[in-house]
Amino acid sequence: MSKDNKEAVKTLKVKVASPYRTYFDEPAISISGVNKTGPFDVLEGHHNFITLLEPCELVIRTGSEERRIRINGGLMHVKSDMAAVFLDV
Amino acid sequence: MKQLTEVVEEQDAMQSVVGLTNVFQGLASMRISQIKDQVLSSQRFFNELWAIYSQIRVSKRFGYGRDHNDQVNDKELIIAITAEGGFSGDIDQKLINWMLKSYNTEKHDLVIIGHHGALQLTQASVPFKRYFKLPQHDNNINVLPLVNLVKQYKSTTVFYQTYVTLMVQDIKKIELKGAIEEASKKARDNNMIISEENYIFEPSTESVVSHMENTMMEITLTQTILDSKLAQYASRFRSMRSANDKASEMMQDLKWDYNRTRRYISDERLKEVVNSIDKVELNA
Repeated sequence: MSKDNKEAVKTLKVKVASPYRTYFDEPAISISGVNKTGPFDVLEGHHNFITLLEPCELVIRTGSEERRIRINGGLMHVKSDMAAVFLDV
Repeated sequence: MKQLTEVVEEQDAMQSVVGLTNVFQGLASMRISQIKDQVLSSQRFFNELWAIYSQIRVSKRFGYGRDHNDQVNDKELIIAITAEGGFSGDIDQKLINWMLKSYNTEKHDLVIIGHHGALQLTQASVPFKRYFKLPQHDNNINVLPLVNLVKQYKSTTVFYQTYVTLMVQDIKKIELKGAIEEASKKARDNNMIISEENYIFEPSTESVVSHMENTMMEITLTQTILDSKLAQYASRFRSMRSANDKASEMMQDLKWDYNRTRRYISDERLKEVVNSIDKVELNA
């Protein structure tokens, strides 16, 4: 990837954690999950958002890889290009 | 005097005790360090969650994650956390005695965690509403059945063992709401207000708040269970340490016994040789 392309990729900071373990804590291009309404994606520049998550597979795209984390539920908080997922205990 | 083979056998047996107590001591110490890490990690999680909760709370009062339709019992719920089995010394007895001082059948419902405490209550003919086994594992403790009970009562008090230091364990009681407020003091203050004007809520503000309250209650209850387990591991560590010290002292005594027995045998042989020489000389 050239320097110009690198600069063009906009990222947000993503953290996925349970009370006892952090599963992911890095910049990413997007994070996708499922809430009561259905599947959704969060990218850089997303509006402030708080949602309860349904049991699903979270998909985090970093550009170089795609991380999948199976969850039983939780809460996602998105603000100022930061998405924090608090997994259920 | 003991035979040399007997002393050697005893030494072997004692060496096994020293080895075993060393292993148990190591295991207890490892568990203590793992639980401490878990408690710190869950406290960080709680703080981050509280920081958001404090900004969106619609009411100043902690709602226990209750729905509007939930019926609340006028009684107070008491939860006592004890050990599952032996090796816990007299601390469970102290905890049960202390809890019973404030227990009143008319005003309280009692939930007991741990077989040791349930046994003591049964022996004392004290009825309890529910009994739960103390979880064997230290990860992913399911406190949901407890949270569901807590929601049904106007208030909840938890009696549990607490870890002070490796050598000192104590008993403690907390009012659950107070414990959550206490834990929230460690979270940083944030004056920003989160509302439907500046945020999108899915499915609704109320469900999000209720979910957060449930999660924070689960964390707080899990922490009291972990604190109890920490105290129990520390108590086990202390017992193993004193058993190890005792076994090491006995090993030293056996070493003396071994040397004394060997010297005795050697002296006896020497005496026999000298006597034989005397006899030979007399006969000559």
